[in-house]
Amino acid sequence: MKDNEIIDKIKGSLKNKIAEITNPAARRIFLKVDKENLLSAIQYLKELGFVHLSTISGVDKGDVFEILYHFANESCVVNIRITTPRNAPKIPSICAIIAGAILYERELQDMFGLIVEDIPDPRPLVLPDDWPVGAYPLRKDWKFERPPEIIPGEE
Amino acid sequence: MSSNRMDNGAEFKVPIGPQHPALKEPISLRMTFEGEIIKDADLRLGYNHRGIEKLAEQKNYIQNLYLIERICGICSHSHTTCYAQGVEKLMGIEPTRRGLYIRTLVAELERVHSHLLWLGVAGHEAGFDTFFMYTWRDREVVMDILEIISGNRVHYAMNTFGGVRRDIDEQQKKKILGSLDLLIKRTDYYKKIGTTEPTFVARLAGVGKLPKEKAIALCAVGPTLRASDVPRDVRKDDPYAVYDEIPFDVCTANTCDVLGRTVVRIKELFECYKMIEYLLKNLPSGEIRVKAPRKVKEGEVVSRYEAPRGENIHYIKSNGTDKPERLKVRAPTLANYPATIEMLKKGFIADIPLIFAAIDPCICCAERMIQLVDTRNGQEKVMRMSDLRKWSLEYYKKNSIDSKNKEAIWPF
Repeated sequence: MKDNEIIDKIKGSLKNKIAEITNPAARRIFLKVDKENLLSAIQYLKELGFVHLSTISGVDKGDVFEILYHFANESCVVNIRITTPRNAPKIPSICAIIAGAILYERELQDMFGLIVEDIPDPRPLVLPDDWPVGAYPLRKDWKFERPPEIIPGEE
Repeated sequence: MSSNRMDNGAEFKVPIGPQHPALKEPISLRMTFEGEIIKDADLRLGYNHRGIEKLAEQKNYIQNLYLIERICGICSHSHTTCYAQGVEKLMGIEPTRRGLYIRTLVAELERVHSHLLWLGVAGHEAGFDTFFMYTWRDREVVMDILEIISGNRVHYAMNTFGGVRRDIDEQQKKKILGSLDLLIKRTDYYKKIGTTEPTFVARLAGVGKLPKEKAIALCAVGPTLRASDVPRDVRKDDPYAVYDEIPFDVCTANTCDVLGRTVVRIKELFECYKMIEYLLKNLPSGEIRVKAPRKVKEGEVVSRYEAPRGENIHYIKSNGTDKPERLKVRAPTLANYPATIEMLKKGFIADIPLIFAAIDPCICCAERMIQLVDTRNGQEKVMRMSDLRKWSLEYYKKNSIDSKNKEAIWPF
């Protein structure tokens, strides 16, 4: 399937649920939808043959978090983009549709402090057990401070 | 995890892991057994989170190239190529053809050394140590080739934005082609190994089943996915570098088990040799690199790469400065973890090392502590991974391999 055929099909099916659809490079489609329409967009993509979720990327954009779901099949990579406000960072879980998304959603919760609603397994995944609560390393306002070096026996 | 069930006392819980400094993702698996059978497996990462994605936001693009290289020691070239080709797109520069050929050449040599390493590990876990010693000896040949090209055995540091950093001359070419003949001869021997060693085939067949539908649903990648008969390969589907002009086939197997994963990797070795020969014989002349700008204009890019273990994906977002706004890296092993849990279920304790090794996560190279807790009397038994391996070999000596497995066919 060519890129423009995929775009036409997505446009024909999702219609006004699409906020923006671009094709910046060959085999790369960026589809922006509202958070509420995420599940129906992913359901449609799955029917279209995009069954492989490569990963989920999060980006801290200040007032909002941007989340990208990278789907790939043999002809194209479709990236679904949603945003969620910083003060209410909630996104729906897509595990019911794509079972393999679980580790990526757990990673998002750890690294960005997003709340993935209805996630089948909400436990921490990538950060250590003694990691402080409420510290989300990939948020831009989180800065790493090296603990002061204490040399025993010195003042 | 389904079970803290203590009532009937028939279940064991076994934590495996977690520390291994060589991996991006050290892993701890908590297994639940009923007798010999694995009922459930649960996963915990985070014992060695290195914060590379955060660090990358604080370093400039060229510094990041060397940081990214250190994500992995086995597929270091995979990560830099994936990153470099993404940044090149953002910069709007086109690498030279000779640069791309050399980049692809190193990528395929890396696949050869990674697959040979894996074959050895599979042999070792199956109790076939002669095979392990053979493949690792032959792996030295390809390590030497990589040293001839790059001066290094592990971190080749070949990539740069706009091409590669070192050229190949005629003498090197001749040397590499000579060594390649030896590798092809040796791999031919491995291809025949199944026909002369039926126990090896019987040990691998039927272990770590991953049905096709499950492999797709759990988003598995690489040889793990291709062994479940899904012909998905980034090099064919989304060709980068020069993969659209060199001849190769996507290798699959339909047995959906560790045998299939072995077969896929042996087949891929031959494809690699074919490609390496083609790349060397058709190496275009010209410059190896173009000059790259320091700052990168605003934009975003999704870059994919078929690493030896499967699809590697980088998402890079730039903001107009010399540092990336965001760099997301997903290495293939993480993508294969959900599938690994599926493979482990219904397997035997004795198959854990083999199934682990089959996704090629390098976990079994490590000495690992395993704690066996008998829920009936609360006794604890601590086992190292090497002891578990020994125990698994004993187990299969006592309990002969299923008669069904004895009929398993080596498909070459």
